Parts: sequence; C-alpha cells; structure tokens
Amino acid sequence: MQFTSAIVENAVDALSGFPGIGRRTALRLVMHLMNRPEAEVVRLADAVLKLKTELQLCSICGNVSDSGLCTVCANPMRNQKQICVVEDFSDQMAIEATSQYGGVYHVLGGLISPMDGVGPEELNISTLISRAAQEGTDEIIMAFSATVEGDTTMFYLARKLRDMPVKITCISRGISVGGEIEYADEITLGRSLANRTEYKV
Amino acid sequence: MHLQRLQLFSFKNHTEAHFAFCSQLNCITGPNGSGKTNVLDAVYYLANAKSYFNPADSQIMQHGSSFFSVHGWFADGDKEDEILATFTDKGKKTLKKNDKTYNRLADHIGMIQTVFITPYDISLVLEGSEERRRFMDFTLCQTNREYLEVLSTYKRILEHRNSFLKKMEGRNPDPDIMDSYDSRLVPAANRIFGWRQDFISEFQPWFQEYYGWLCQTTETVALDYESELITEAYSDILRRNLDRDRVLQRTSSGIHKDDLVFSLQGQPLKKFGSQGQIKSFVIALKLAQYRYFLEKTGHKPILLLDDIFEKIDALRAGKLMELVARDFFGQIIITDTHAERVKNHLKSLDTEQVFFELGG
Ligand SMILES: Nc1ncnc2c1ncn2[C@@H]1O[C@H](COP(=O)(O)OP(=O)(O)OP(=O)(O)O)[C@@H](O)[C@H]1O
Ligand SMILES: [Mg+2]
Ligand SMILES: [Zn+2]
Repeated sequence: MQFTSAIVENAVDALSGFPGIGRRTALRLVMHLMNRPEAEVVRLADAVLKLKTELQLCSICGNVSDSGLCTVCANPMRNQKQICVVEDFSDQMAIEATSQYGGVYHVLGGLISPMDGVGPEELNISTLISRAAQEGTDEIIMAFSATVEGDTTMFYLARKLRDMPVKITCISRGISVGGEIEYADEITLGRSLANRTEYKV
Repeated sequence: MHLQRLQLFSFKNHTEAHFAFCSQLNCITGPNGSGKTNVLDAVYYLANAKSYFNPADSQIMQHGSSFFSVHGWFADGDKEDEILATFTDKGKKTLKKNDKTYNRLADHIGMIQTVFITPYDISLVLEGSEERRRFMDFTLCQTNREYLEVLSTYKRILEHRNSFLKKMEGRNPDPDIMDSYDSRLVPAANRIFGWRQDFISEFQPWFQEYYGWLCQTTETVALDYESELITEAYSDILRRNLDRDRVLQRTSSGIHKDDLVFSLQGQPLKKFGSQGQIKSFVIALKLAQYRYFLEKTGHKPILLLDDIFEKIDALRAGKLMELVARDFFGQIIITDTHAERVKNHLKSLDTEQVFFELGG
C-alpha cells in the first residue's frame, strides 16, 4: 500500500495485525474512523487507553475489575465456598452466562503451554493455592477447554491442591475433544457444570 | 468400490484431464514426464486428501495456476459417491463428499482404500525408521478410526512434553508437570503399541505368502516389530530416562521410536538383499497391505501400479499379474512407458481392460 499520509499509514499499521484484521480491513476501519464525529473518536481512544491505564485485576480472583475488586467477589450473595477456576475472563463470562453458577471465580490468565512459553510461573496460581487453603473453601471446580493445555493445567493444579481439605472437581468433558469453553453453548456448558465429577490424581 | 471417472484441473502437469475408468484393469501409457504417475497420485489424493509424494499442496498446483482440483466419482454396487478436493493459492483446502464439505479431513480417511506400488517404495527399506512407522500408521489408520485419534493425541502430548523440556533448558522439570504429560502419554502409547503388535502378527503371514509367490522361492523373509515397550513398561522407561530427556531436552523413548525390522534369510535386508530381492520385498509388503484392507473392511482397495514392469524381471512380473488377476483383486490402474509391453503382459488375462495414452 502506498500512502500519501504518514498519519493514515500509522493508523493502518496500528490496527492491522489485530486478530482477524489484515491491512485491507485496517484501511477500511481507518476510513470509517475518519468519517466519524471527533467526540466519538475521542471516546474510542479513551476507552482503549483505559484498558491499560485504569483497568485492574481483582486482588482476590484475578479477574478484570475497575477498582481492584471485581463485581463477583464484591457481591455478598455469591457463595465464597465454591471457586470455579477458568483460563481467562471470556471463559468466566461464558460460565456466568449459563446462570447455573452461584460461586466465585479464579482467573488463571492462561493455561500451561510450553510451546507458547507459558509455564505455571506465568499464571495466577499461587493466590489460588492460598485461597484453597483458606478456611471455608469447600470446592475447587476446574472449568478448562478439553485440550492438551487444559488437561495439563488440570492435572498440575490437582497435584498442587492434593493435600488441602477441599474437594476438587472438573466440569464434565461433554464438550467435544478440542472444544473451547467460550464457544460452547450455554445449555451444554450448564450441563457440564452440573455434571461435574471429582477429579483425583 | 471403484473409481468410474476422474477429472483433474491444474493438477501438476495436467491442466485439464478426464478419465473414464473401467472397474477392472486400466492402463495408462506414455513417455517419461507425460504425467502417468501424477494420475495415480490424483487417485491417491482423493482417498487420502493428500499426495503420496508432495507433503505440501502448493507443490501440486500447476506452476502459474492459482488453484487445483481433483474430482472423482466412485461406485460401490448401486451406491455412487462424488469426492471433490480443491486447493487455492490462499492455502485453502476443501474436501467434499456429495457436495457436503468435511469439517475435518480426518473424517474422510478410511472411506476409500488405495494401495500404491511405486518405484519410490524402496525408501521403506533404505531410509530411516520413520518411513516404516509411517507405513504401519497408514495401514492402521485406514481400518481403525481410534488409531488415528489416539496417535494424534500421543503426538500432541509429546510435542508439549518436548517443548516443556526445552523450556527448562536442562534444569530439573517440575515433577507435577512431567507426571501430567506422562499420565496421558503412557496410556496412549500402550494402545498404539498393542495395535501395532496385533497388526504385525496378522500381517506377517500374508506378507510371507506373497513374497514366496512372487519370487517362487523358499527363502524366509520376516518383519520384526521393534519397540522398547516390548521388554519394559513405558511408565518405567520414562522414569528411567528422565535424566537423559532433561539433558537432551526431548523425549528419547516411546512408540515414536518404534521400527519394523526387515530380514531375509535371517539377515538384515538392507545390507544383504539384492536389488531385485528388495524390490520384491516391498511389493510383497504392499500386496499384504492390500490383503489387510480387504480382510478388515470387506472391500477391495484400488490398486495403483506405477511402472511395475520397469522394476522387476519378466518372471516376477508374470507372477504378479497372475496374482493380481486372480479374482480377489478389484480395480487396478497401471502405468508404463511402453504400450506394447503392458499389452503383452496383460493379453492372457481374462479381465476388462481399458487403455489410455498420454501425450509427451
Ligand atoms: N506443480 C507442477 N506443475 C507443473 N508440472 C508439474 C508439477 N509437478 C510436477 N510436474 C511435472 O509433471 C511431470 C512428471 O509427471 P509424472 O511423474 O507423472 O510423469 P510420468 O509419466 O510418470 O513419467 P515417468 O515415465 O518418467 O515416470 C514432470 O515433467 C514435472 O515437471
Ligand atoms: Mg512415473
Ligand atoms: Zn474477583
């Protein structure tokens, strides 16, 4: 692409390379933005910026939050005895969308995947272990995609939590092999949550 | 099951080609480089969603073209199935059966069996163990759906285990992560091991029968399945080799190291076999593969014979054609540079025959 403006080119460069966005699509987005009112574009820039400057992780569960405590952990109606461990907040949202779960969450921020350079050290695991050790925690539910990464993480966590007085369960793997939680429909996911089984290593 | 019609677009040297095959003997003749082997590869492609020779689909696409397609119409009794494979230079590959796109190419494997005998097969003898494992895996995948699933699970976990060892750069790995991989690797390995063992014991007598027939000999030939799992439990092997794996930064033992040892009169074939014996050995392997498919599926595979008369002497070629024409062989597609030579070999056979002549 040959640009007559470095400003336009920079904007295209910045947008291309996003998931599913090539240079052509990036150019279309840029043209669209140029035609919007300034206030709208400022709102967008601000929303994007805040993801970096203001967004926090919940100090309890590691989920995204605005204040250091997420709305789930801050909600006194949630059952604090049950902790559902998920890969990331999009999986947490998928489980929330089933309306079948009243406990709290723990967000790992990924799954063990050495190919992507992700080992246990890179994940939010130590706080999970202290939460599990806390008095009053009854059950840790592991809700990971049925992939090698998901299975590895599940086994690893179960080992680390083995000597704690909590029940360790996993959602039933009705989701087909390689199935990703965020793509499972609510009914299927709700059912696998209800049909969870004890996980022993 | 036989292929009634085949249509190619931009498939290697075939810009556009159309063949109407008969259900028995089909001969394709033509000079070197006219594209005879490519036609057989196209048939193989329809059955396996990949080329026998080229690992990358982009190599199959005719130079200067932006796509290729292979289209085949198969008949099995009254049942007809249409298979269409297409590939574009954007890297998009699709496979359709009766106009319905497969979600996974693997779902197609096993529907159509082919046995391909080519001059390149001696790599089974001359090359490393990977070739022979591929032969076992290919044969088993065609007839055992679970085998393909378990083998790919094994390979995926192995890949993770190896990258983990690499990430550790020689340091001691966390035993909980190692156990996590091993607890899944071991059962997968054991199943593959069991299937391969059963396979060889079933396959061996057929192989020996065909070698004897082909060579009219009493020389003994044998296939020996070699696996570390024969003498020791895989979980023990992994434990014993943990230090070595840590240093090598990869998994040094397992069914990905298995081999199939070929021998002639109790001696290693690769060292002691003559060229002719080696050629006959691989042909017998392929004929036994044919028999294996037939026994397991109840269907006759399509037999693809590439340059068969180049490779072996007249006596063996005669024996082969006799065997091939015996009633259990179904559709055959055969290639040769000399139309006269094939016609001579085939004239005594009482089967339907169709000839195709390719230009230079
Ligand atoms: N991607 C491609 N595009 C165009 N031509 C190709 C492509 N791949 C292979 N070819 C050509 O196909 C020809 C080889 O065809 P093939 O091997 O089928 O010939 P053959 O008739 O079997 O010859 P032989 O008698 O020597 O075995 C070669 O000339 C090769 O250059
Ligand atoms: Mg050829
Ligand atoms: Zn929280």
